[in-house]
Amino acid sequence: MLHLERMKGEEENREAKKNNESYRSGRLENLKVSVSVFIANKTALAGLLIFIIFIADALIVQFDPQLIGIQSPNLLVPNFQNPIPLPPSPEHPFGTTYPGIDLFDGIVKAIRIDLAYSFFVVAVGASIGAIVGIISAWAGGMMDEIVMRLTDIVFSIPYLILALAVGFILGRSLWHMSIALALTWWPLYARYARSQTLSTKELTFVEAAKAGGVGRGMIMFKHILPNVLPPIFIQISLDLGSIVVIFSTLAFIGFIPNADIPELGYLTSLGLNYVQTAPWAVIFPGLVITVFALAVNLLGDGLRDVIDPRRRS
Amino acid sequence: MKLWAYVVRRLLLFIPTLIGLTFIVFILSHAGGNNLVLAEYINPRLTGEARTLLIQKLTEEFHLNQPLYIQYFYWLYQVLQGNWGFTTTPIFSGTVITAIELFFPNTAMITVVASVLIWAIGVPLGIYSSVNRDSVGDQVLRVGSFTLYAMPIYLIAVALIIALGVYLKLIPFSGVVNPILVSDVSWYKNGISYPTHIILIDSMLHGAWQVTWDSFLHLILPSLTLALATVASIIRILRASMLEVLEQDFIRLAWSKGIPAKLVYNLHARKNALLPVLTLYGVTVAFLLGGAVVVETVFSYPGIGYWTTQALLNNDVGGIMASTLLFGLILVTANLALDILYAFVDPRIRY
Amino acid sequence: MSEILQVRELKEQFYTRRGIYKALNGVELKLNRGEVFGLAGESGSGKSTLGLTIMGLLPRNASILSGSVLFDGIDVVAPMRDYASKSNHRFSFRKNERIIKKMNEELEGVRGKKIAMVFQDPMTSLNPVLEVGYQIAETMLFHQSSVLAMRRLARAKAKRADLEEAMKVIKNTNGDETVVERFFEERGLKGLEEQVLSIWRRPDLPDARKEKLILSLHSEKLGAFESKVLKLVQERGSVPSWFSKLPLFGRLAKKVLIKEGYRKAVELLSTLEIPNADKIVRMYPHELSGGMRQRVVIAIALANNPEVVIMDEPTSALDVTVQAQILDLVKHLKTKFNTSFIFISHDLSVLAEVCDRIGIMYGGRLVEVAKTREVFESPAHPYTKLLIAAIPTLEEKQIQEIGGTVPDMRFPPSGCMFHPRCPYAMEVCRQRVPEMVKVSSDHHTACFLYSQGEGST
Repeated sequence: MLHLERMKGEEENREAKKNNESYRSGRLENLKVSVSVFIANKTALAGLLIFIIFIADALIVQFDPQLIGIQSPNLLVPNFQNPIPLPPSPEHPFGTTYPGIDLFDGIVKAIRIDLAYSFFVVAVGASIGAIVGIISAWAGGMMDEIVMRLTDIVFSIPYLILALAVGFILGRSLWHMSIALALTWWPLYARYARSQTLSTKELTFVEAAKAGGVGRGMIMFKHILPNVLPPIFIQISLDLGSIVVIFSTLAFIGFIPNADIPELGYLTSLGLNYVQTAPWAVIFPGLVITVFALAVNLLGDGLRDVIDPRRRS
Repeated sequence: MKLWAYVVRRLLLFIPTLIGLTFIVFILSHAGGNNLVLAEYINPRLTGEARTLLIQKLTEEFHLNQPLYIQYFYWLYQVLQGNWGFTTTPIFSGTVITAIELFFPNTAMITVVASVLIWAIGVPLGIYSSVNRDSVGDQVLRVGSFTLYAMPIYLIAVALIIALGVYLKLIPFSGVVNPILVSDVSWYKNGISYPTHIILIDSMLHGAWQVTWDSFLHLILPSLTLALATVASIIRILRASMLEVLEQDFIRLAWSKGIPAKLVYNLHARKNALLPVLTLYGVTVAFLLGGAVVVETVFSYPGIGYWTTQALLNNDVGGIMASTLLFGLILVTANLALDILYAFVDPRIRY
Repeated sequence: MSEILQVRELKEQFYTRRGIYKALNGVELKLNRGEVFGLAGESGSGKSTLGLTIMGLLPRNASILSGSVLFDGIDVVAPMRDYASKSNHRFSFRKNERIIKKMNEELEGVRGKKIAMVFQDPMTSLNPVLEVGYQIAETMLFHQSSVLAMRRLARAKAKRADLEEAMKVIKNTNGDETVVERFFEERGLKGLEEQVLSIWRRPDLPDARKEKLILSLHSEKLGAFESKVLKLVQERGSVPSWFSKLPLFGRLAKKVLIKEGYRKAVELLSTLEIPNADKIVRMYPHELSGGMRQRVVIAIALANNPEVVIMDEPTSALDVTVQAQILDLVKHLKTKFNTSFIFISHDLSVLAEVCDRIGIMYGGRLVEVAKTREVFESPAHPYTKLLIAAIPTLEEKQIQEIGGTVPDMRFPPSGCMFHPRCPYAMEVCRQRVPEMVKVSSDHHTACFLYSQGEGST
């Protein structure tokens, strides 16, 4: 019996070595397959395209606004001579909203602002949350309990209202709004990352690695993170859309103190009083947000199809 | 009777969550310094000497000169006593408790109606979508819910206003009732109806059917907006859940028994598929509450949400803190109820 | 010996993102009445797929290229096969799904009633949110509601005196079935005999208790409306569809019948040697052990006394003692009711115990079919020979493994599926697919070693 087992072991070793060599070239193969799967998904491609357009807008307004004829990228330019919203025309491609602000101009500027702050919220909130979650799940014990209780407490208040309250205390500005949102958002990621890590931790191959004497740090890096990070990353990209929507919602209900910050939600609220006579004033800014959120969602779904191995078969 | 054990355990968990909630609100309300706290609890109508006296009294009562962790208990004591501070907003000024009493019923009304709509529409559509996978209906539903999911709530609200209120001139989209109808009525004073503070119900109690109909019309858009904003994710989750369930072995067994398809879908599959939806419903409730804030603001519907935004715009500390606490309480209670409901529905959880 | 099930030239494939899996490549099978047919093979050989296809339980990415499954006068796979042959490259999952749905509808009368299946993993086979008793009762509701109605009515009609007399008869004849049956039939109390006898046969109760239970089966009151409904069901043989759609009445009928179904489920489970069956039926699957769960699944399959039962690895997830009980049960049913079985397993030793004939599957085809004894004593196909040699026995010998691995069914080997691993492979094996040829009476194999290269019968 033992003789047979040893024989089998050697054969397996040889097989494993062969597999390893093909493993590396297999990775390149994998990448090619991933890209082709992604490209085949037309909606994801459309999402990517739209996403790039938005980013391009933000970057252009940031670094060279004159290129598309934008002055004062951080301010909305009212026109009190003509405060009542005007319908779309060659002069004003999207029309104007109260008080006389050109919507096209406003929207182009607002995209940069919205994107910038939302990226911040996602980058800071999500990343910190994810790190906390992973470490908490990995460490276990007391620390895990504390993190769990903390997130529980934050979850006990609806996130919109919590963001409102925190932002209120800090002071009503876009910057504080972002901080408030980041503070509300990280527990979600802590929880999500934690559950991902926990389920990966339980998987047998981790047990196998431990039994093989692999160090804890190594296990973390080579086994756990590669399984946990991709879904988190995808979740982050999906949430970018949600954050922009929430951000604009907060601005819509009146969080912003100044009357002339370009922001998509705020622009929408300006037109609210004229919704009967000038629906475009509300539709265009709102549509822009929706399109962005849609694009991000499609993009995220497409990425998920590629990265999540289960979806592949 | 392990079910009872579970309920008791869950109730016990309720208490520390409440404590945590109150603690957060406490931190928030005291983070702005003592002045902000005082602003919250001073009756704004007091001036001069009475005011100064009150400030002294309050400083003592709340032990504002002591470290924070001591202040917490005194603050909590006040909260439990019913002293939630004062609010000063254009739509209402007075004690917070009164504000809650007056505004909460309306919020409850639209949230409940929205929930009913969500389940009544969402569940059948979600099941339809999964049973008729990739059919025309399914694709339309998927595109539709995808879009709705991406739209900010205020945009859905506005779209509904434009579609139904303006172009079709069918439904009113502002306020809770046509003021003309209630201008001369005994049970309606200063914008408040008695005894339940919900115009729809009070008018039925008083037999004023015209008012009932009118208030019902006013109810439609806010509830519909909330429902549409939420139903999209319910349909998506239910569809995914059903599809997963339909691949399970026990469904194949059900088919092998030769029982009618309707039974396989609506009993065997649905019962299992609804479980994840129920689990995620806690998040949905949080979303609904936040959404109520936006919806009430857009439609000028006098509920807690409207009051909250008014407080925000008018720098009314009392209003903001109180509504945060209130919303938190609602959410925590809702989560408790959901957890217990889940235990009833899923026999595996009780053991 | 008459044929009850026939599978002819069945070719089936599955469309996946990773390629097309050719699961079945020309399967020929004949099942005789009252026979236990064993289906053996490694994982990936297609044996489970064959079982599922016979039941018509296929996912939407399954395509029947050709062949037929004839049972009870129907060709089970006809709709799917017709669609697949028409659509070729434009195979749409959606359309296939619709066809499968129609197929489900057509097979409603047959599934659960004339043919039933027991699945492999009892952990996942039962619906976790439904009581076990309900899951058994449900299949009886749809396929023998008249029996259920009859039983209930008989209990309502019976008087204590009737049962006392019956008790005497039972004691005198020691529970002779025919006598007891006639006894109740004469008194117009048909339906009571199985209830009485099932109590009598329970191994976990003392005689005195049994007597008490039997005597309590009388005069169980029925509301006037309920009894009318039940009589209607008994006559028509099922709950009329228009009736069951009526809100209150339909529900009432179902409720009464399911309740009766629970009772019958208790009897069924007692026969399967589950103690305290009356408590078990109210439990949920997760509260039961694996062995009990599997017995529930078997109870569901057997509830309506089907003609054919397909068992897919029923013992693989269970321990040996339960395995033995299940094998005993199969033997018992075969003798008593002349039920036919298709017993799928990768474990030849299990099959040796209970099967009349065994079919060996490899690469989606049957490579050898013979009587059990012959398979073990004189296997013909090289694969079979290697399988048998690989069975561990008490003698010390070196375990011979079969070199190579099961072929990737996306790219099956040319000619004979086994030729890459076959120690006797010849040139022709690579070029042509071997037909089934006769080795001796009732022993066929698909191998060129036995046909003179031309294929003879």
